[in-house]
Amino acid sequence: MDYTLIAPYLPDLLSGFWITVQLSVLTLVLATPIATAIALGRDLGPRPLARALAVLVNAVRLLPALIVLYFVFYGGPQLGLRMKPMTAATIGLVAMGAAYMSEDIRGGFSALDRGQLAACRALGLPFGHALRRVLLPQALPLIVPPYMTRAIIMVKGTSLASMVSVADLTAEATRASSITYQPYVFVLLAGVLYLALSGVLVAFQAWVERHLRLRYRLAR
Amino acid sequence: MTLDFSTIPEVWPALMKGAGVTIQLTLAVLILATPGGLLVAFLRLAPQPWLRALVLALSWIFRGIPPLLLLFFAFFGLPIMGLTLQPLPAAILAMTTYMSFYFGEIFASGLRSVPPGQAQAAAALGIPAHRTLMRIILPQTIPAALPPYISHATEILKGTALAAAVAVPELSNAAKKIFVVTYRPLEVLIVAAAIYALLDGVLLLLQMFGERWSNRRRAGR
Repeated sequence: MDYTLIAPYLPDLLSGFWITVQLSVLTLVLATPIATAIALGRDLGPRPLARALAVLVNAVRLLPALIVLYFVFYGGPQLGLRMKPMTAATIGLVAMGAAYMSEDIRGGFSALDRGQLAACRALGLPFGHALRRVLLPQALPLIVPPYMTRAIIMVKGTSLASMVSVADLTAEATRASSITYQPYVFVLLAGVLYLALSGVLVAFQAWVERHLRLRYRLAR
Repeated sequence: MTLDFSTIPEVWPALMKGAGVTIQLTLAVLILATPGGLLVAFLRLAPQPWLRALVLALSWIFRGIPPLLLLFFAFFGLPIMGLTLQPLPAAILAMTTYMSFYFGEIFASGLRSVPPGQAQAAAALGIPAHRTLMRIILPQTIPAALPPYISHATEILKGTALAAAVAVPELSNAAKKIFVVTYRPLEVLIVAAAIYALLDGVLLLLQMFGERWSNRRRAGR
């Protein structure tokens, strides 16, 4: 391995990594509340809303992420929505992530007895209160594992942004590879960085699960 | 702004060709990764601790790296090691490798759902190990493993779009090649999306039939 050849591209790789981190954080932070709203809308909202959301979620889940990104980045301008690659990638990835994530959240809520919400209403507990004090403490421990799995999938999914000309880690690694003819060094390096990112999420998951157990005094 | 589908008949053959490659790629990966997944599952449950640890580490690596990066590695990285592949075989190799590990997780949890006492009972009755596996253990893992298996099969189908990045002429690639010429991406993308949805639908139908079949088989016993 020739390090003198690799060194000049390390700053690019790092800036790509930074873009990937930004994209990951942005998609997770935006997708989570949207997914929660979709899940609540589908389970508790009026029937037409629930139906519409179901169709929308399932339509997005049928498509490859790449096609969704193409829709936003290449299809958008046809509707007069011209945006930067980073914006387009974020919108596409958030739409994808929120659709899948809403299913994970719904899965957690579906384990709860619907009678509980009725009981809360009968006792005059406001909805926000019922959600925070009754439903979430039971649902959260069930939601966290699939949610974190989804988060890791979404972080890996940010690599698709490279296909709509975002200069993320994958894009920089492949660019450096094709310039230097050092094909696997950069790709391996990028792989290690992605693994580090998902490692952080796995550590975060362990911390959250422990925190939830302590907070809600759950048995192991 | 109105949608204009008048160019679609003209580009239809190209889209169909792309869809054909998508189907080929999906089937090839599905057929190769299924035994691959079984192998991974058996190794995950092997008696040797070092073997289990090795497979666990590999599984973590292959499921932790973005599939797109693995495709790039198969296409650009392997030639350095003396293995130059055409785009399609490279994509099949990369996707089969990582899907085997995803399938391995599913099959391993399916195998774990069968109580170990059954294998011991079969051994006590003098039934050969391979027959115990084929006739007793595996049939019982099917109900648990089938739904996640099919949902991962749709992941394979959707994942084939990534092969566009290594110049495999599949559906997404065909769609892009068309709309960079026609300058009307929306129409072509809508048609491509409909084709993907149709193919997804076929897999979901397979799941429905598969579940009914396995329920009937269980009820018949």
